[in-house]
Amino acid sequence: MKFKVPIFDVKNLNFIVRGQTILQDISFKIFEGEYIAIIGPNGGGKTTLIRMLLGLQQPTSGEIKIFGKKLKEFKEWYKIGYVPQRATLVDENFPATVEDIVKMGRIAKRGILAGISKEDKEMVEDAMIKMDILNLRDKMVGTLSGGQRQRVMIARALASCPKILILDEPNTGVDMVSQQRFYTLLAKLNKEENITILFITHDIGVIADDIGRLFTINQKATICNDPKKMLSCEEVSDLYGIDAHALHHHKHEH
Amino acid sequence: MFEMFEYDFMQRAFVAGLFIAVLASISGNFVVLRRYSLMSETLAHSALVGVAVGLVAGYNPLWVAVGVAIASAWLIEYLRSAFSLYSDAILAIILSGSLAIAVIIVSLGGAFNNSLFSYLFGSILSVTNEDVMTIVTVGSLSLLFLLLFSKELYFIAYDEEVAKTSGIKVKFLNFLLVTVVAVIIALSIRVVGSLLIGALMVIPTVAALQYRVGFRSTMLISLFFALFSVIFGMSLSYYYSLPSGATIVLSIIVIFIISLIVNKK
Ligand SMILES: Nc1ncnc2c1ncn2[C@@H]1O[C@H](COP(=O)(O)OP(=O)(O)OP(=O)(O)O)[C@@H](O)[C@H]1O
Ligand SMILES: [Mg+2]
Repeated sequence: MKFKVPIFDVKNLNFIVRGQTILQDISFKIFEGEYIAIIGPNGGGKTTLIRMLLGLQQPTSGEIKIFGKKLKEFKEWYKIGYVPQRATLVDENFPATVEDIVKMGRIAKRGILAGISKEDKEMVEDAMIKMDILNLRDKMVGTLSGGQRQRVMIARALASCPKILILDEPNTGVDMVSQQRFYTLLAKLNKEENITILFITHDIGVIADDIGRLFTINQKATICNDPKKMLSCEEVSDLYGIDAHALHHHKHEH
Repeated sequence: MFEMFEYDFMQRAFVAGLFIAVLASISGNFVVLRRYSLMSETLAHSALVGVAVGLVAGYNPLWVAVGVAIASAWLIEYLRSAFSLYSDAILAIILSGSLAIAVIIVSLGGAFNNSLFSYLFGSILSVTNEDVMTIVTVGSLSLLFLLLFSKELYFIAYDEEVAKTSGIKVKFLNFLLVTVVAVIIALSIRVVGSLLIGALMVIPTVAALQYRVGFRSTMLISLFFALFSVIFGMSLSYYYSLPSGATIVLSIIVIFIISLIVNKK
């Protein structure tokens, strides 16, 4: 594993806005085949970190490499499937069937100006089968339930045959049963298709058995290589809802 | 009914009108979905500055309008990125500012007459051969762009950031889109008029959206509505000697109202 080029290689990332430190000195590597969960309190900087990994936001300082390349030089975006936070809250009026959305995933792979090939059609079909939404293909996304939308969004990301799926809490409006089913699907993608997964979630207890590493992000990053141990330790439960300074303070007292 | 086609001016008006219906409705899909509706209205007023300059200085108003509309589109895009907080205020300022400038130029130049009226509300009588040539050639190029990049533009309209992380050149395509929209608007003011073209761009799509169907079907429905309202509106304009822009826009509004009622939940 050490000789492999990491998918993400982040070094000393800092993000400061108007004197306020949002992310501080964050470094990590993510390798192919990993399943990583990111947790942290609201406003802890999880979304900001992900957006920086994808070049949607500029860090104040630090270096991000993606498949060994600097963000600016990286061209193979089809290798990355990104589902943003609140992706399930689609505009009800947007004129899109489920298939329209999943097809978007092929644009990255196909390149500009190319027509739709047989492979495109197969991969779109394949992604819908994997996410179990083939029967919904002609439905308008605006009419779907939260859980169904969630699967459509993942199918869109999967259609480009990505190496890594980056999911930012795509859970808004999804009930418990659908959620459970969704986690099973993610684990399956990771194990059977060797798709790397970077998953921001609050449901850490439920997926603890699936994940390989756990990142907690609250301004600073704590990386835990054995998530089962991490869960039992005070730090994680404390981190939830308590800001980093309080945590720090608490530690110093002992 | 078809005797109107015996007149050359009517043939010209129909060629121009149908072309504009295609251009306005196809581009209108992206304009509406990207929440650029007010932008099209603003560009139409900017185009009027070009018309005023053309009328007063004796150049072809259509070409000057195309130039000024493009310049205005770029200015808007620049100001939007520089002052992102006030993007609708920027549109409102440029809209009224353009109208004020146009009126002043026309007043100073003494061209406040029928000719200007026809650019405000459209006129089937005034379409020249040169206009038809301009609309067909420049319009074809615009249409080609829209069709070539329709999937990318659709993706951007759906989610700009996800499109960006899929390797789509969002900035570049946005820039091209507003340029093409500016061109289409400037081309349309002959037939539809600058005060009314915004409606022909926006309403067919909004009417088509009522049917709640996929991307391709929505586009086809809006195209059909635009073609129908242009044909119907220009016929009305011919038989009752009314400004064509007004009859076209009222036709499309009737279609919109019917679409609303038919699809009421
Ligand atoms: N460009 C920016 N300008 C100002 N503040 C910013 C910017 N980007 C992020 N922030 C701030 O950074 C903090 C972290 O936000 P972020 O959305 O990353 O948190 P999060 O961990 O994803 O929270 P949640 O669990 O609610 O999704 C917030 O306080 C946010 O306001
Ligand atoms: Mg977040």
